[in-house]
Amino acid sequence: MLTLTNVRKAFGSLVAVDDLTLSIRRGEVFGLLGPNGAGKTTTVNMAVGLLRPDQGTVEIEGAGSPDRPGVRAKIGVAPQALALYDELTGEENLAFFGKLQGLKGRDLTDRVRWGLEFVGLFERRRDRAKVYSGGMKRRLNIAVALVHDPPLLLLDEPTVGVDPQSRNSIFEKIAALREKGHTVVYTTHYMEEAQRLCDRVGIIDRGKLLALDTVQGLIAAHGGKSLLIVERGGGEERVETDDPLRELNALQSNGALRGFRLERPDLERVFLRLTGRELRDV
Amino acid sequence: MSTIIALAKKDLQLLVRDKVGFFFTFFFPLVYAVFFGMIFAGQGRGGSAMQIVVVDEDATDGSKAFVRQLDESAELAVQTATREEATGLVRRGKKVGYIVLPAGFGKSRERVFGGEPVKIEMGLDPSRAAEAGLLQGVLTKYMYQGMQDAFTNPTAMRKQLAASLTEVQTSADMDPAWRTTLQWFLPMMDRFFAEIPMTGGGAGRGWQTFEIVATDVQVQRRGPNNPYEITFPQGIIWGVMGCAAAFGISLVVERSRGTLVRLRIAPIGWTDILAGKSLACLGTTSAVPAMLLLFGILVFGIRPDSWLLLILAVVATSVCFVGIMMILSVAGRTEQSAGGIGWAFLTVMAMLGGGMIPLFFMPPWMQTVSHVSPVKWSILALEGALWRNFSFSEMALPCTVLIAVGLTGFALGTRLFRWTEEG
Repeated sequence: MLTLTNVRKAFGSLVAVDDLTLSIRRGEVFGLLGPNGAGKTTTVNMAVGLLRPDQGTVEIEGAGSPDRPGVRAKIGVAPQALALYDELTGEENLAFFGKLQGLKGRDLTDRVRWGLEFVGLFERRRDRAKVYSGGMKRRLNIAVALVHDPPLLLLDEPTVGVDPQSRNSIFEKIAALREKGHTVVYTTHYMEEAQRLCDRVGIIDRGKLLALDTVQGLIAAHGGKSLLIVERGGGEERVETDDPLRELNALQSNGALRGFRLERPDLERVFLRLTGRELRDV
Repeated sequence: MSTIIALAKKDLQLLVRDKVGFFFTFFFPLVYAVFFGMIFAGQGRGGSAMQIVVVDEDATDGSKAFVRQLDESAELAVQTATREEATGLVRRGKKVGYIVLPAGFGKSRERVFGGEPVKIEMGLDPSRAAEAGLLQGVLTKYMYQGMQDAFTNPTAMRKQLAASLTEVQTSADMDPAWRTTLQWFLPMMDRFFAEIPMTGGGAGRGWQTFEIVATDVQVQRRGPNNPYEITFPQGIIWGVMGCAAAFGISLVVERSRGTLVRLRIAPIGWTDILAGKSLACLGTTSAVPAMLLLFGILVFGIRPDSWLLLILAVVATSVCFVGIMMILSVAGRTEQSAGGIGWAFLTVMAMLGGGMIPLFFMPPWMQTVSHVSPVKWSILALEGALWRNFSFSEMALPCTVLIAVGLTGFALGTRLFRWTEEG
């Protein structure tokens, strides 16, 4: 659906994206996981034609480069920074951006209504965006990206600054979009979100793509073994194992345990092993 | 085209909902035009007539008639007062000067041949030398007008001649040679006036050495009907400058608040985005003058010389300020810097171009410098259509300058904007 081939983008001496190659499949939710400043937003901006790569190519399947306005009609984008007109109502925001996408008449009215209902803002449609909460603005930001029913949706850090309730609502909407067959590119620095939502995840750091696979594939390849932590009278004991149950039985046979916990490998561990740093520390 | 209209409509919605911006775009220019119009109108005739005080120490019918004549003149606005009051008024700068009509003024004015000359005392503010000179000239004019009136009325003239002859014959201290001459001359004058053919009412053509026939040159280039025809063009300029500043900043606001990203992601081109912004600006910069002029016509009696030229002037002004808006939109990276730069530029243009003080109040060198300001050409075009009675060829210069500035600004602004956005 979207292919980036050997793209590179530098701002002066800072290389934001370095020789990145990605191919997003039709109908999948693809996560681009990396810390702040990893190059996720630059990648998204090149994918939608906002930035021209210094080298390499970007192509939307069957349409060509997003440099061309007609090709961009196939893309919906929810930028990381909210891009709404505060003085317009939610309904007016959707209608305006719908018109820019070529919608008019009954189609426009229907799509605006659908968008408002989809993100749960229909009841507040006549309120100006400036009175919306942070979560409501995020949802409206997504609705604007969806108003023209694009096959490819790019969501750049859509849950930044959002309360848990709105975050869950956004997750549900993304799952619903996948059910409808939309392709979603989801950038985040929250490992839990990528793990929960994405069919495949690309891990990016300092402009380079470090790994790309399904969540389970990444964990299997880079996550290492599960970590079993047991407590005895003398303190904690940490054991890496492929078979935690067998290892626990063995440890108990050596003396009574006061407690234990198991840490399975996750994307956080994958990132740590790939970069030597923790995601949340960066 | 529907995309451009959608973009323009959105900008107009945003302008209308921004109460401060809306006030400064639509109501401030009206307040400006009405306020200054009322100030100038409040000055009434005194606005152009010279303010003087007359001390009438004669208080005869003749002196009172002269005071009345001065007060009814176009050049003077007269207040009568005592000598002390008159001195105080001039000293405090309230009046240009005072004149004193001494005792015997009325009688002396009637006496054409004989007696001592009447002495009219003038008290003048030395800091207003030019006006003092003008006052002397005006007084001389009306004094001689009295003499001319006497010469053109044979009946009255013969009466004066008889009185003068009696005075000559009874005077005790007159030079005998002068007395002899007058006793020969005055009866001869009396015979002359007696033989002049009479026309209606006893008054004839009399003896008149010349006659000045005044032609009203205002037919070709009349002045403004009222002060509002001067202040409304200035108000219009403030309105269109407000529009240019507001829309110039709005592009920066779009950039800083992220909505420009959405516009750029949409399947539209650069030209659509900029054309939408320009269309909204053009609409507003046309609506503001239209609204102000409608108000001025309905309420303040503004009467345009030419509706067609007025429309041309408004369109040219709008085009010019749309171009300026495009330049302002790339002038700053933040809303604060763009606003500051924009208003600084526009204020200087207004100062130079007569947007604050009418150009005719400025020194000549300043009037020459004002050519660089589009505000000057806008006001000239609007005044040309309102009261300067411009022909098409006279209107061509200001309108060409305005449209050229507009197109240059648009081209330059578009280029700089693309360069700024695409790096």
